[in-house]
Amino acid sequence: MIEHYLFLSVILFCLGILGVISRRNVFIVFMAIELMLNAANLGFVALARLHVSMDGHVLAMLVMAVAAAEAALALAVVILLHKHKGKLDTNIFSLLRG
Amino acid sequence: MIVTYMFFGFALLSILGALGLILFKHPMNGAMSFVVTLISLAGMYALLSAKLIFAIQLIVYAGAIMSLILFIIMFLNIQAKDLPDEPGRWFYLGGGIVVISPIAYLLLKMVKSLPAGDTGIIEQDFGGVKEVGQLLFRDWLLPFEIVSILLLVALVGAVVLAGKRGANT
Repeated sequence: MIEHYLFLSVILFCLGILGVISRRNVFIVFMAIELMLNAANLGFVALARLHVSMDGHVLAMLVMAVAAAEAALALAVVILLHKHKGKLDTNIFSLLRG
Repeated sequence: MIVTYMFFGFALLSILGALGLILFKHPMNGAMSFVVTLISLAGMYALLSAKLIFAIQLIVYAGAIMSLILFIIMFLNIQAKDLPDEPGRWFYLGGGIVVISPIAYLLLKMVKSLPAGDTGIIEQDFGGVKEVGQLLFRDWLLPFEIVSILLLVALVGAVVLAGKRGANT
Protein backbone atom coordinates (compact mmCIF):
# COMPACT_ATOMS: atom_id res chain seq x y z
CA MET A 1 0.00 0.00 0.00
CA ILE A 2 2.82 2.43 0.86
CA GLU A 3 4.23 2.07 -2.65
CA HIS A 4 0.99 3.47 -4.07
CA TYR A 5 1.61 6.73 -2.26
CA LEU A 6 5.15 6.82 -3.63
CA PHE A 7 3.85 5.98 -7.13
CA LEU A 8 1.54 8.96 -6.87
CA SER A 9 4.42 11.10 -5.64
CA VAL A 10 6.57 10.12 -8.65
CA ILE A 11 3.68 10.74 -11.07
CA LEU A 12 2.97 14.19 -9.62
CA PHE A 13 6.67 15.09 -9.73
CA CYS A 14 6.89 14.09 -13.40
CA LEU A 15 3.76 16.11 -14.19
CA GLY A 16 5.42 19.09 -12.52
CA ILE A 17 8.55 18.68 -14.64
CA LEU A 18 6.36 18.44 -17.76
CA GLY A 19 4.60 21.66 -16.76
CA VAL A 20 7.93 23.47 -16.38
CA ILE A 21 9.17 22.13 -19.72
CA SER A 22 6.09 22.68 -21.86
CA ARG A 23 4.54 25.93 -20.66
CA ARG A 24 5.69 29.51 -21.11
CA ASN A 25 3.25 31.26 -18.81
CA VAL A 26 5.10 32.46 -15.71
CA PHE A 27 2.29 31.57 -13.31
CA ILE A 28 1.90 28.05 -14.67
CA VAL A 29 5.66 27.44 -14.41
CA PHE A 30 5.62 28.71 -10.83
CA MET A 31 2.68 26.49 -9.85
CA ALA A 32 4.33 23.49 -11.53
CA ILE A 33 7.33 24.07 -9.25
CA GLU A 34 4.95 24.13 -6.29
CA LEU A 35 3.52 20.85 -7.57
CA MET A 36 6.98 19.29 -7.50
CA LEU A 37 7.50 20.49 -3.92
CA ASN A 38 4.17 18.92 -2.98
CA ALA A 39 5.13 15.62 -4.60
CA ALA A 40 8.33 15.60 -2.54
CA ASN A 41 6.26 16.32 0.57
CA LEU A 42 4.01 13.36 -0.16
CA GLY A 43 7.09 11.16 -0.44
CA PHE A 44 8.42 12.43 2.90
CA VAL A 45 5.14 11.82 4.70
CA ALA A 46 4.61 8.38 3.14
CA LEU A 47 8.11 7.24 4.15
CA ALA A 48 7.58 8.68 7.63
CA ARG A 49 4.49 6.48 7.90
CA LEU A 50 6.44 3.46 6.62
CA HIS A 51 9.13 3.84 9.27
CA VAL A 52 6.76 5.13 11.99
CA SER A 53 9.08 8.06 12.69
CA MET A 54 8.07 11.68 12.45
CA ASP A 55 11.20 13.19 10.94
CA GLY A 56 9.47 13.20 7.57
CA HIS A 57 6.70 15.37 9.00
CA VAL A 58 9.23 17.92 10.23
CA LEU A 59 10.93 17.93 6.83
CA ALA A 60 7.57 18.41 5.12
CA MET A 61 6.92 21.42 7.35
CA LEU A 62 10.32 22.89 6.46
CA VAL A 63 9.57 22.36 2.75
CA MET A 64 6.28 24.19 3.19
CA ALA A 65 8.08 27.11 4.82
CA VAL A 66 10.53 27.23 1.89
CA ALA A 67 7.58 27.13 -0.52
CA ALA A 68 5.93 30.05 1.28
CA ALA A 69 9.14 32.11 1.09
CA GLU A 70 9.51 31.19 -2.57
CA ALA A 71 5.91 32.22 -3.29
CA ALA A 72 6.40 35.64 -1.72
CA LEU A 73 9.65 36.34 -3.59
CA ALA A 74 8.58 34.88 -6.94
CA LEU A 75 5.31 36.81 -6.96
CA ALA A 76 7.17 40.03 -6.16
CA VAL A 77 9.49 39.38 -9.11
CA VAL A 78 6.52 38.58 -11.39
CA ILE A 79 4.79 41.84 -10.43
CA LEU A 80 7.99 43.78 -11.12
CA LEU A 81 8.53 42.14 -14.51
CA HIS A 82 4.88 42.62 -15.46
CA LYS A 83 5.23 46.31 -14.61
CA HIS A 84 8.32 46.62 -16.82
CA LYS A 85 7.33 44.50 -19.80
CA GLY A 86 3.56 44.02 -19.55
CA LYS A 87 3.89 40.37 -20.51
CA LEU A 88 3.78 37.01 -18.77
CA ASP A 89 5.91 35.11 -21.26
CA THR A 90 9.03 33.48 -19.79
CA ASN A 91 10.86 33.85 -23.12
CA ILE A 92 10.70 37.64 -22.80
CA PHE A 93 12.33 37.62 -19.38
CA SER A 94 15.84 37.04 -20.72
CA LEU A 95 17.48 40.08 -19.19
CA LEU A 96 20.69 38.27 -18.28
CA ARG A 97 21.42 37.11 -21.82
CA GLY A 98 24.97 38.03 -22.73
CA MET B 1 -11.04 -1.19 2.80
CA ILE B 2 -12.58 2.27 2.88
CA VAL B 3 -9.06 3.69 3.24
CA THR B 4 -8.13 2.10 -0.09
CA TYR B 5 -11.18 3.55 -1.83
CA MET B 6 -10.47 6.99 -0.37
CA PHE B 7 -6.85 6.72 -1.47
CA PHE B 8 -7.78 5.97 -5.06
CA GLY B 9 -10.38 8.74 -5.07
CA PHE B 10 -7.86 11.28 -3.81
CA ALA B 11 -5.16 9.97 -6.19
CA LEU B 12 -7.47 10.35 -9.19
CA LEU B 13 -8.46 13.88 -8.10
CA SER B 14 -4.87 14.98 -7.55
CA ILE B 15 -3.66 13.63 -10.90
CA LEU B 16 -6.60 15.26 -12.69
CA GLY B 17 -5.84 18.54 -10.92
CA ALA B 18 -2.18 18.38 -11.93
CA LEU B 19 -3.13 17.59 -15.54
CA GLY B 20 -5.50 20.56 -15.49
CA LEU B 21 -2.67 22.74 -14.19
CA ILE B 22 -0.35 21.89 -17.05
CA LEU B 23 -3.03 21.88 -19.77
CA PHE B 24 -5.35 24.84 -19.07
CA LYS B 25 -4.44 27.95 -21.01
CA HIS B 26 -5.49 30.63 -18.54
CA PRO B 27 -3.52 30.69 -15.25
CA MET B 28 -6.74 31.26 -13.28
CA ASN B 29 -8.18 27.91 -14.43
CA GLY B 30 -4.82 26.28 -13.77
CA ALA B 31 -4.68 27.71 -10.24
CA MET B 32 -8.20 26.50 -9.44
CA SER B 33 -7.41 22.97 -10.60
CA PHE B 34 -4.15 23.09 -8.64
CA VAL B 35 -6.21 23.83 -5.51
CA VAL B 36 -8.01 20.51 -6.13
CA THR B 37 -4.62 18.76 -6.17
CA LEU B 38 -3.56 20.45 -2.93
CA ILE B 39 -6.77 19.57 -1.10
CA SER B 40 -6.64 15.94 -2.20
CA LEU B 41 -2.99 15.80 -1.07
CA ALA B 42 -4.23 17.03 2.32
CA GLY B 43 -6.59 14.05 2.29
CA MET B 44 -3.61 11.80 1.58
CA TYR B 45 -1.80 13.19 4.61
CA ALA B 46 -4.86 12.46 6.74
CA LEU B 47 -4.86 8.85 5.44
CA LEU B 48 -1.17 8.62 6.34
CA SER B 49 -2.14 9.75 9.89
CA ALA B 50 -0.10 12.96 9.67
CA LYS B 51 -2.63 15.15 11.44
CA LEU B 52 -0.49 18.26 11.81
CA ILE B 53 0.72 18.15 8.20
CA PHE B 54 -2.90 17.70 7.08
CA ALA B 55 -3.96 20.87 8.89
CA ILE B 56 -0.90 22.83 7.71
CA GLN B 57 -1.43 21.71 4.12
CA LEU B 58 -5.00 23.00 4.20
CA ILE B 59 -4.23 26.25 6.02
CA VAL B 60 -0.86 27.25 4.57
CA TYR B 61 -0.85 25.70 1.08
CA ALA B 62 -4.47 25.56 -0.05
CA GLY B 63 -5.32 28.59 2.06
CA ALA B 64 -2.49 31.11 2.19
CA ILE B 65 -0.16 30.38 -0.74
CA MET B 66 -2.86 29.64 -3.29
CA SER B 67 -4.96 32.63 -2.29
CA LEU B 68 -1.81 34.77 -2.63
CA ILE B 69 -1.24 33.41 -6.15
CA LEU B 70 -4.92 33.87 -7.10
CA PHE B 71 -4.83 37.39 -5.67
CA ILE B 72 -1.80 38.28 -7.80
CA ILE B 73 -3.35 36.73 -10.93
CA MET B 74 -6.51 38.80 -10.39
CA PHE B 75 -4.46 41.87 -9.46
CA LEU B 76 -2.57 41.81 -12.76
CA ASN B 77 -5.94 41.58 -14.56
CA ILE B 78 -4.79 39.17 -17.26
CA GLN B 79 -6.86 39.18 -20.43
CA ALA B 80 -6.79 36.46 -23.06
CA LYS B 81 -4.66 38.65 -25.32
CA ASP B 82 -1.97 39.12 -22.64
CA LEU B 83 -1.35 35.39 -22.43
CA PRO B 84 1.72 34.14 -24.26
CA ASP B 85 0.72 32.16 -27.32
CA GLU B 86 2.44 28.87 -26.90
CA PRO B 87 2.81 27.39 -30.36
CA GLY B 88 5.28 24.67 -29.41
CA ARG B 89 3.32 23.55 -26.36
CA TRP B 90 2.29 20.09 -27.57
CA PHE B 91 5.71 19.61 -29.18
CA TYR B 92 7.51 20.38 -25.91
CA LEU B 93 5.01 18.26 -24.00
CA GLY B 94 5.73 15.26 -26.23
CA GLY B 95 9.48 15.81 -25.99
CA GLY B 96 9.20 16.18 -22.22
CA ILE B 97 7.30 12.90 -21.98
CA VAL B 98 10.03 11.19 -24.00
CA VAL B 99 12.73 12.60 -21.69
CA ILE B 100 10.85 12.02 -18.44
CA SER B 101 9.49 8.51 -19.01
CA PRO B 102 12.81 6.62 -18.51
CA ILE B 103 13.46 8.55 -15.30
CA ALA B 104 9.92 7.87 -14.14
CA TYR B 105 10.33 4.20 -15.03
CA LEU B 106 13.52 3.95 -12.96
CA LEU B 107 11.90 5.76 -10.02
CA LEU B 108 8.80 3.55 -10.14
CA LYS B 109 10.98 0.44 -10.26
CA MET B 110 12.96 1.68 -7.27
CA VAL B 111 9.78 2.42 -5.33
CA LYS B 112 8.44 -1.05 -6.10
CA SER B 113 11.46 -2.66 -4.43
CA LEU B 114 10.69 -1.04 -1.06
CA PRO B 115 9.47 -3.33 1.70
CA ALA B 116 5.72 -3.44 2.09
CA GLY B 117 4.62 -1.79 5.31
CA ASP B 118 1.45 -1.55 7.29
CA THR B 119 -0.45 1.62 6.38
CA GLY B 120 -3.33 1.49 8.80
CA ILE B 121 -4.28 4.68 10.55
CA ILE B 122 -2.37 5.21 13.81
CA GLU B 123 -4.68 6.87 16.29
CA GLN B 124 -2.38 7.71 19.18
CA ASP B 125 1.09 9.26 19.55
CA PHE B 126 1.85 9.81 15.89
CA GLY B 127 1.75 12.94 13.84
CA GLY B 128 -0.10 15.15 16.27
CA VAL B 129 0.95 18.65 17.29
CA LYS B 130 2.59 17.50 20.53
CA GLU B 131 4.78 14.75 19.05
CA VAL B 132 5.88 16.67 15.96
CA GLY B 133 6.45 19.81 18.02
CA GLN B 134 8.69 17.99 20.48
CA LEU B 135 10.70 16.53 17.61
CA LEU B 136 10.88 19.91 15.87
CA PHE B 137 12.15 21.79 18.91
CA ARG B 138 14.59 19.10 20.08
CA ASP B 139 16.24 17.37 17.14
CA TRP B 140 15.44 19.90 14.40
CA LEU B 141 16.05 23.14 16.27
CA LEU B 142 18.87 24.44 14.05
CA PRO B 143 17.01 23.84 10.72
CA PHE B 144 13.97 25.49 12.28
CA GLU B 145 15.95 28.62 13.15
CA ILE B 146 17.56 28.70 9.70
CA VAL B 147 14.11 28.49 8.10
CA SER B 148 12.92 31.38 10.27
CA ILE B 149 15.85 33.47 9.00
CA LEU B 150 14.99 32.41 5.44
CA LEU B 151 11.40 33.58 5.91
CA LEU B 152 12.61 36.91 7.29
CA VAL B 153 14.96 37.40 4.32
CA ALA B 154 12.18 36.51 1.88
CA LEU B 155 9.84 39.00 3.58
CA VAL B 156 12.39 41.82 3.39
CA GLY B 157 13.26 40.89 -0.19
CA ALA B 158 9.63 40.91 -1.30
CA VAL B 159 9.06 44.31 0.29
CA VAL B 160 12.23 45.73 -1.32
CA LEU B 161 11.37 44.28 -4.76
CA ALA B 162 7.68 45.12 -4.98
CA GLY B 163 7.56 48.12 -2.68
CA LYS B 164 7.04 51.73 -3.66
CA ARG B 165 9.77 53.23 -5.81
CA GLY B 166 11.00 56.78 -6.13
CA ALA B 167 10.28 58.06 -2.64
CA ASN B 168 13.87 58.26 -1.43
CA THR B 169 15.98 56.29 -3.86
